[in-house]
Amino acid sequence: MILTLLDELLLFSGVTLLVALTIGRGLAAGWMVTILYGGQLLALTKMAALGYEGGTIASSLSFEVMGQMLNWRFDALSWFFALITLGSALLSSWFSCGAWERDYIKQGGNIWLFHTAMALNVFTMLILLASGDLLSLFIGWELVSWAGFLLMALAGGVATKAAMRYITYAMAGGMAVFGGLALVYSASGSLQLEAVITAVEQISTTKLWLLVILFGGGFGIKMGLLPFHLWQAPAYAETPGPGSAFLGAISSRMGLFAILLVLVKLFGIVNIDNLKVPFTLIDARDLLAWLAVLTIILPTFTAMKQNDARHLLAWHGIGQGGYMLLGIVVADAMGGAGGLLHVFNHATYQAALFMAVTAVIYRTGTSDLNKLGGLVVRMPLSFMVLLIGIIGLAGLPPMNGFVSKWLVYRSLLNQGMPLLFLAAVIGTLGTILSVYKLIHNIFLGQLRVEHEHVAEAPWSMMIPMLILSAIIFITGLMPGIPLEWIASVLQTVGLPVPQYTLGGVESNSGSLDMIWVIGVLFAGFGIGAVIFYSAGRSKRVHQLDNYAGGHFLSADVRYQYSDNFYAGLMHLIGGWYRGSFLWLERSITSMIEFLSLGMQGLYRRANAEFYLLSTALFVIAWAVI
Amino acid sequence: MSSIKQIPVVETKRTNPLARVFDDLVRFCRSRSLFILHYCTGCGAIELPPAMTSRFDMERLGIQPMVSPRQADILLITGYVSIKTLKRVILTYEQMGSPKYVIGICSCTVNGGMYWQSYATAKKLDEYMPVDLYIAGCMPRPEAVITGLQQLMDRIHSGQANSWEDYYRNYDYYLGNQQKLFGENWQTPTDVITEAKHYDLLSEGTLGDHTRLLEQHQKPLEALDMRLGHELKEPRK
Amino acid sequence: MSATELLIELTLMPLVAFIVGMMMVLMMRRIAARLQRRVGPPFFQPLYDIVKLHSKRTQVSHGLIHDIGIVMAMGGYIAAETLLPVPGMNGIAEKGGIITLLYLMMIPSLGLALGVGQCANPNGSIGIARALTAMLAYDIPLVIVVFGVAYAAGTTNLIDIIATQQAGGFETWGVVEMPLLAIAGLVAMHASLGKQPFEIYIAPAEIATGPMVEMGGKYLGGLFVMQCFQLYTTSVLYVSLFLGGGTTWFDFLLKSFLVLAIPVSIAYLFPRYRTEDLLRLMWKWPVMLGLIGIAFVI
Repeated sequence: MILTLLDELLLFSGVTLLVALTIGRGLAAGWMVTILYGGQLLALTKMAALGYEGGTIASSLSFEVMGQMLNWRFDALSWFFALITLGSALLSSWFSCGAWERDYIKQGGNIWLFHTAMALNVFTMLILLASGDLLSLFIGWELVSWAGFLLMALAGGVATKAAMRYITYAMAGGMAVFGGLALVYSASGSLQLEAVITAVEQISTTKLWLLVILFGGGFGIKMGLLPFHLWQAPAYAETPGPGSAFLGAISSRMGLFAILLVLVKLFGIVNIDNLKVPFTLIDARDLLAWLAVLTIILPTFTAMKQNDARHLLAWHGIGQGGYMLLGIVVADAMGGAGGLLHVFNHATYQAALFMAVTAVIYRTGTSDLNKLGGLVVRMPLSFMVLLIGIIGLAGLPPMNGFVSKWLVYRSLLNQGMPLLFLAAVIGTLGTILSVYKLIHNIFLGQLRVEHEHVAEAPWSMMIPMLILSAIIFITGLMPGIPLEWIASVLQTVGLPVPQYTLGGVESNSGSLDMIWVIGVLFAGFGIGAVIFYSAGRSKRVHQLDNYAGGHFLSADVRYQYSDNFYAGLMHLIGGWYRGSFLWLERSITSMIEFLSLGMQGLYRRANAEFYLLSTALFVIAWAVI
Repeated sequence: MSSIKQIPVVETKRTNPLARVFDDLVRFCRSRSLFILHYCTGCGAIELPPAMTSRFDMERLGIQPMVSPRQADILLITGYVSIKTLKRVILTYEQMGSPKYVIGICSCTVNGGMYWQSYATAKKLDEYMPVDLYIAGCMPRPEAVITGLQQLMDRIHSGQANSWEDYYRNYDYYLGNQQKLFGENWQTPTDVITEAKHYDLLSEGTLGDHTRLLEQHQKPLEALDMRLGHELKEPRK
Repeated sequence: MSATELLIELTLMPLVAFIVGMMMVLMMRRIAARLQRRVGPPFFQPLYDIVKLHSKRTQVSHGLIHDIGIVMAMGGYIAAETLLPVPGMNGIAEKGGIITLLYLMMIPSLGLALGVGQCANPNGSIGIARALTAMLAYDIPLVIVVFGVAYAAGTTNLIDIIATQQAGGFETWGVVEMPLLAIAGLVAMHASLGKQPFEIYIAPAEIATGPMVEMGGKYLGGLFVMQCFQLYTTSVLYVSLFLGGGTTWFDFLLKSFLVLAIPVSIAYLFPRYRTEDLLRLMWKWPVMLGLIGIAFVI
């Protein structure tokens, strides 16, 4: 048997998992696993033709289960997501080696389990990305869900609780996907992609509706789509640092991958557009777009209220997922490209942000935004990384987040969707507010006495962060690099392709050239710097030499504004945070509890034969009908 | 002190005519754009609103009120200065950016005025900081205030109003008076001696017995420099 | 266009913006003075202020980020000017378009926010928190307005938006075609200038001028320069969107000054809103007008 390139990659990934399993206790294990991730990335670059020209590479592994062919293959879509997965795995793993690892062990963490969980996550994600039919997609889906659970539950305590919540949601999602699968099978008689594509054309509207809801809901749970977003932030935030960087970067994008594959590629946006919601003017696509927009706004404004840096970032992770879905649902050339580009961009800056916050935790022992401040003088490089990351997250020039958001905005503008456009911008503005709070409360303001002797994060943590920052900037300067991959992804899933250049996109109705924009921006900074620095030498003063209305400041009294940061805003919108989703979740939980109590009572009274009989009758009845 | 024992400073003559024009321009702009910080300690403050508003309009002369000491050029002390207030006045003065000018309005700043018997009032403002201009009166009318400000503008334009340098050159004297009033532990969060070095204004009057006393119990005030700190071997918690 | 011509345009555009901006500052202060029955500052007062501030001996810095913040505040606007077409000069307006311009206009405030952050002064931090809140308030109507105009014009390219208005004459000006959007835009523009009654983040009596509290010398000078650019950019953007830009420098400047005179004249008649009132006002009337305006456009 000749190994194809995909086989090589999957084998490599399996070997990584084995290595992590067997020698994961040694300190060199981290480095070993990291190098193996590098190897996987190399194996992936051998398949680069997929990303540039399209086509597919099949795995030689395939077998038949119950008349269904199970096969795995890579196309441009899988390649693009695999690139992000392996990139973030490599850098997160690198980040975890050395200093962080030692500290983790000292605090009683199980580093073997950590490396294994990471390797398992990567392996299962690759399997999911390689799925060549709906059944293998489902298998991959379940594997990824459980692997994610392992990584999330690592830290114990609160983390386990969050992970339990996650797995409950994920199981529900899995059930929904399974239901969808059954429905597809009953409609087309096969789970092969080609068969589904042809079957969708004849399928009845009701069934398609059901399919969209089942698949959209099932996959949406993974990407934290409203109203299934509650699990994500605590689960990601409580994962050990590099793990949360990895999860935040890519994990929930698996949901987007599946949505792209099933809803966009198989069902087709046009078909979804034809699904009208009865008695209203909107259709399923609008519904999805609005869900995406709500996913942008609500979690973003929840993030603004967080007082823990990791939770703040994790909430933003949910919000940014909305932009990706929004772009894809709009589904014109700009929107599709914007949504996909945002997947890449989000992975880069989210990983960098989580790493920077982890570095701060490593040095100071806390991520509580009210217990930090002024660290820029002690951790300037981490500050720089966080700054680059938040500029990306907020979607401002010159970082890469700007380009993808610009594309999404442009598509909404082109399609004439003012309310969606407005909502997307509100999300961005909310992001700007909350990321300023993040950087201000950690790095700016007054340095605490207990942090006077804090040092910069060690190089083993710093280098991956710097690499990510460089990627954020370079892909912001030359978005043409990722856009080239995205063009082939768009072709694969059947969406229109924008006309891209190295510096952005060309269009009759207004184009974007980031090379020019950034060039001019930096030229402007240069002129500003010349004016500024030619005007006399400045003198550095101590932070206590500060205006306080004539009051004498001393180090023992905090002179810092961090709590209730947007007090004026919260005066108005504070009352709008009602926690309705939490309420919904709790009411469902208690309803199930109540039902199960009732069932328990029933179960205790009646005899077992009756149950068996009635269950069997139900099953037969369901099968017949 | 400022007027009595003013040490004649030999100004280095700029030979480049362009530089002289530039210096002149800068002095002119300084005189035509004055941001005042009115430290309203006493009744004299009531005369400032009329000086600013439509009747007399200080903005004609480029004079505007400002809020924080960093932004201001002129410190206006408008009345008697109690000892508690004086501490704040001195801190405010030290935080202002040079070139800075102090104007004492009302008789109280000259010699304590009607408070000269008070145990809690600083009598002569110029014992604690160099004063550029006194506008005497109880209280001076807005016309007097404006005239005073115009005189200050002339002095700035002609380059005479440099008493702020005196504070650095004779810091020991001013500090001594301050210590006499506030006790030995007196210290502001500013670091005047380093600043004097920064401006090349360190002279024999800067350091002395009083500054030595200050240094004995001064809490460190070096600016927090940005550092990578990888080489540091600090124990972390 | 040759490279030298482009280079000349790229240097001239910010320079013109700065000079016109200084005149706008002067106009603003003169209007304020006249409304208060004063004479007001002399003609060159803005220049005096800037030169003086840059020539102060003391330049108090709280750290590198404090310095960089000011550089970004000036540099962001200098860059933004090259995306803003003026009569005879387009710069690189076609490379970015209006969305990019709006984003570039956020860079100075964010640079400033960083710089103020390092000053370690809670007054400044409160000021920035309020300024960002104000941005959230006025950007929503502003975005509606920009969407409406760009959608009506079918492009985000400012050059095209201006050209269509000029080609059709007065009847095709944005203010005639989309009067509701124009009104909403004017209110949003007023709030974005941070003048009374929307000057929540300066609030001298309350938070000691907020972001400017630790700024002296060239730091404050940089902010004065930024203010010149800000006035210029805001009014020229409005003129480009609604008043057909300018065919000649004369009518271009005339329109810009007139547009700016409206909010400035209103400003000095009012005290200050509280933050939540500003939000409430901004999210109610201009948004409503803007949405109705968009409904007409679509």
